[in-house]
Amino acid sequence: MTQAAAPAPRRRRRLKLATPALLGLPVGWLVVFLIVPAVIVALYSVNELSLFPGPHSFALGGWYRLFHSGFMSLFWKSAQMSLIVSALVVAAAYPLAYFLALSGTRRKYILLLLLIAPFLTSYLLRVLAWKVILSDGGVINTFLVWVHLQAHGHSLSFLLYSRFAVMLVLGYVWLPFVALPIFVTLETLDFRLLEAASDLYASRLQAFLRVTLPLSMPGVVAAFLFVFIPTVGEFVTPSLVGGQAGYMYGNQIVDLFETGFPDWETGAALALFLIGVIAVLTVVFVRFLRIGEARAA
Amino acid sequence: MDVALSRNGRRIMRVFFALVVVFLYAPIVILVIFSFNKGSVPTFPLTGFTLHWYHEFLTNSDMQAALKTSAIVAAISSVVAVSLGILASIGLSRSRFRGRGAVTTLVLVPLVVPLVVLGISLLLLFHALGIQLSILTIAIGHVVISLPYTILILLPRLEQIDASLAEAAYDLGAGPFATFRRVTLPLILPAVVSAFLVAFTTSFDEYAVASFLAGSQQTFPLFLYSALRFPSQLPQVIAVAVVVISLTIVVIVAAEVWRRRVETRLEAA
Repeated sequence: MTQAAAPAPRRRRRLKLATPALLGLPVGWLVVFLIVPAVIVALYSVNELSLFPGPHSFALGGWYRLFHSGFMSLFWKSAQMSLIVSALVVAAAYPLAYFLALSGTRRKYILLLLLIAPFLTSYLLRVLAWKVILSDGGVINTFLVWVHLQAHGHSLSFLLYSRFAVMLVLGYVWLPFVALPIFVTLETLDFRLLEAASDLYASRLQAFLRVTLPLSMPGVVAAFLFVFIPTVGEFVTPSLVGGQAGYMYGNQIVDLFETGFPDWETGAALALFLIGVIAVLTVVFVRFLRIGEARAA
Repeated sequence: MDVALSRNGRRIMRVFFALVVVFLYAPIVILVIFSFNKGSVPTFPLTGFTLHWYHEFLTNSDMQAALKTSAIVAAISSVVAVSLGILASIGLSRSRFRGRGAVTTLVLVPLVVPLVVLGISLLLLFHALGIQLSILTIAIGHVVISLPYTILILLPRLEQIDASLAEAAYDLGAGPFATFRRVTLPLILPAVVSAFLVAFTTSFDEYAVASFLAGSQQTFPLFLYSALRFPSQLPQVIAVAVVVISLTIVVIVAAEVWRRRVETRLEAA
């Protein structure tokens, strides 16, 4: 360390004292409005707190119902839907990001903005657009009748209020965003590695499979989780376009809290289970990134 | 030889890219078309051009009240989120201290918490504390959602600027506030504006958490959601959709272009 860079002791002390003062408010905010609420949810899930007045004590009824009342199969259904959406969306976004990052096109940032712009607009309104398009009397069905591809009264009713509708809309909503993390990893890829592979007589496919794809895996996994995490707990899209068939785990949580027969105890257990699954996934992902970094170093 | 893409591969990818862009924009274009369509249901064939639906939503007082509520919630929550984000980012950029990793994790956790869980847990908190739901409770929830985004925008910018500038200000006798206002803030201003816009639009568009935390006053997304159940309101909702979507695209693209320009200028200086 050079002398000029070494801060005077007094200033260093001032900086040190300042750090807790700076972090106090944001950390305090998150403790009060994120951590404490989570603890309260946990207390509800074991009946230490209860919606209903009167005596109540520690009980695991909520957790018992979570595992024995069909909620698990609903969770698997939601997880499957999310997995399919995430996988398809990542598979579609990869070539887009690859094209932008590696084709040497000069307008890549403009094209990237073009791709992402829909993501920046209202979520609810994009879902609305699909409702207009897919409904029985909607754009697709009336268009098909209009051009005589379809007879009156024989509308394609699977289009709306189905699993298909939920998955289509979720994919539509998340596709633009997912290209971003993949683009970033491909963008920072050392192009000389590809040239070296080519010099060593690797075909383009071999170079892709053995150099580009492994190096871009962190971006791919990040992209996958960026879709999976918000969609597995989703309730807005299924409630608008899902109907009974597209009902997801998130809808169940909402219903346990908001219907005429609320069951906050079970609802809290469902919510905590969802957080637990996501926490495990996130931790595994961060580990995976660290291992990747260590290997690269 | 191009090692990344063959000529045919490039051609196929270009077509694929174009198809995806069509897929992404087609629903929006369809909304635009039907917002000018005379018929009161969005069906083919089109029945003629009208501005009626735009006129109708401009005179719909419920919708205007909802827009105003959303603007207030977004203003409060984005100012609070950016202020907290600035504090956290300066604190995190400045030094390596014990617990830095834990703090970083904590401020990023809201990114992975499902909104339904966040909404319900805050609802239970306010219920336990006996706090009445209002626009303030929505704003509190929105701060939790946008705080990580503001930090992700501000922290890289703070780490870019030369720490010796702030130290020089200290050496010249400036206090922490003067240093922040006259040295740090001007340098990070473009990032602050970006963070503010992201927080504002996030809040303005947020439905899930607001649906649990709203009192008697509806925000705009809550209004939209309830309007979707009444087919008679659909055409004017489509007209609003067109206005809102175009406005957000214009504002965000303009802000991004402006930020790039200012930051290049600051770097040149």
